[in-house]
Amino acid sequence: MKVVSMDRNVCIIAGGMSQFGVREASLREIFQEAAKACYEDNPAVKPKDIDGIIVASAYPERRAFQTHLAPLVAEHVGIKPRSICIRCEVLCGSGSGGIILAYGLIKSGAADVVMVIGAEKTYMPQRWETFYSELASQDHEFDAPHGIGLPPPIFALVAKQHMKQYGTTEEQLAMVSVKNRRNGMNNPMGQFRQPIDLDTAMSARPIVPPLKLYDCCALTDGGAAVILACEEKAKDLTDRPLVYIRGTAQASVHNMSANMPNWTTWESLKIAAQKAYRDAGIRPSDIDVAETHDCFTISEIIEYEDLGFCEKGEGGRFIQEGKSDFGGQVPVNTDGGLLSCGHPFGATGIRQGIEIMKQLQGRAARQVEGARFGLTHNLSGGIATHTVVIYGRDKD
Amino acid sequence: MIGIPYLEGKYAATMDLYSQQSKEFNRNYKFYEHLREGRLTTTRCRSCGQRMYPPRVMCPYCTSDDLEWVDLPTRGKVLVFVEQYQGVPQGFEAPHILAIIDLQGELRFTTRIVNCKAGELKEGDEVRMVVFPLPPSLVETRNGIEERERVFYAFEPVR
Repeated sequence: MKVVSMDRNVCIIAGGMSQFGVREASLREIFQEAAKACYEDNPAVKPKDIDGIIVASAYPERRAFQTHLAPLVAEHVGIKPRSICIRCEVLCGSGSGGIILAYGLIKSGAADVVMVIGAEKTYMPQRWETFYSELASQDHEFDAPHGIGLPPPIFALVAKQHMKQYGTTEEQLAMVSVKNRRNGMNNPMGQFRQPIDLDTAMSARPIVPPLKLYDCCALTDGGAAVILACEEKAKDLTDRPLVYIRGTAQASVHNMSANMPNWTTWESLKIAAQKAYRDAGIRPSDIDVAETHDCFTISEIIEYEDLGFCEKGEGGRFIQEGKSDFGGQVPVNTDGGLLSCGHPFGATGIRQGIEIMKQLQGRAARQVEGARFGLTHNLSGGIATHTVVIYGRDKD
Repeated sequence: MIGIPYLEGKYAATMDLYSQQSKEFNRNYKFYEHLREGRLTTTRCRSCGQRMYPPRVMCPYCTSDDLEWVDLPTRGKVLVFVEQYQGVPQGFEAPHILAIIDLQGELRFTTRIVNCKAGELKEGDEVRMVVFPLPPSLVETRNGIEERERVFYAFEPVR
């Protein structure tokens, strides 16, 4: 009988990102910049060593009039894929979704060395079109006709309910942006490097009350790439400490607003987190550093709770007491998160993976000393879908 | 479209905010016919009895395709709402008010609130459905380009 299951260990061995921000560059150019940065991060890996490519991008059809994107990107970054060549999309979770797919293919033996590369060209010649295309992100037939699609009103609805249910304050929301802006000062590739203080955050102009300017991540052009390899190849291709993918999950409970089971407890996040922790054989308290989806400050607060870093409803106090900062229980968004780096949808989960890889290898811009386990998290759409990836310094 | 001469006079469904509602593009076109009658409807499964929203052609609970139309309440109560003043998407006006409403305990969803000034709405307010016309879609037929009328719904405060 032919054995088809190999069940190998999978490592992340390189990662790099383009400059994030408002870029004077096209989508394909941003992909090339991300690949270039990734190759420079680990010169031992040559394009010919890479047998597969997974391309993450949410809006190429609308913003670059380009489908069949993966072969185009492969051509531009010098890869001739022979195991996999495909695009994956689940909006804001596209990048980490790509990492999960690459992990599964390598683990099973269907691929050996895969580049996961994500990019977004968000800014258009006329800015209305960027906002207009966002209406594709919700249920287009039944939610979008109400003008639902741009995230701020959705997360303002979430924030209002969380504040009412648990007593979370606008000041606690602002503390998330102050922390992440401080962390982002160390990230030269991020969109914003200026720190802000609490007064600035609290007195900023309203976007959709109670959310103010610094409670919201920006629109961003940018790209990021990582290379994943089976452990055997990884040993040949890097001298750095090996970082293993230990647990993964992507969960979705419902999509349309009519079917949301709860707006302030994110069921699919809890499901994804539980599965990823189980895969990794660890508990939430074992996580040393986390990159969570701070598209809005309220998101990071709910994520502390539903990832199990604190009790339900305690997220506001968790940030207030410094537990998500350096020196606290679990430093969160150590590279600045979405609030500082910006959020090019396809690139974000990959950007997070790069930061966790560097943290676990001991070479982050601001290092969490002795970090052994790191976690990345994305939410996508109107909080419908959640993606969790756990990385570890040890193989088991 | 300005700047795209070869699209002059053309209708691009990919740039249309609203979906195709007519029979040739949508098996659930009756949802929109019912809206024109002032009814908010959805499908219920005749096999397992589950009701779903939005309407379907397959029951996601038991996979049957034996579905029937049922009415939902057209009055509800505001649970929570937000008012957007800036960055309102094309096709909508500020203040853009979105609310999660409860339809007499039968369904909750997010809807636009219309005929309401900024600062007027309160949690707990009663709202009722209003139906309004949308720009038609333009369908190519043997007889040339035909207009397909479209409608959608929002809710307004009951005063």
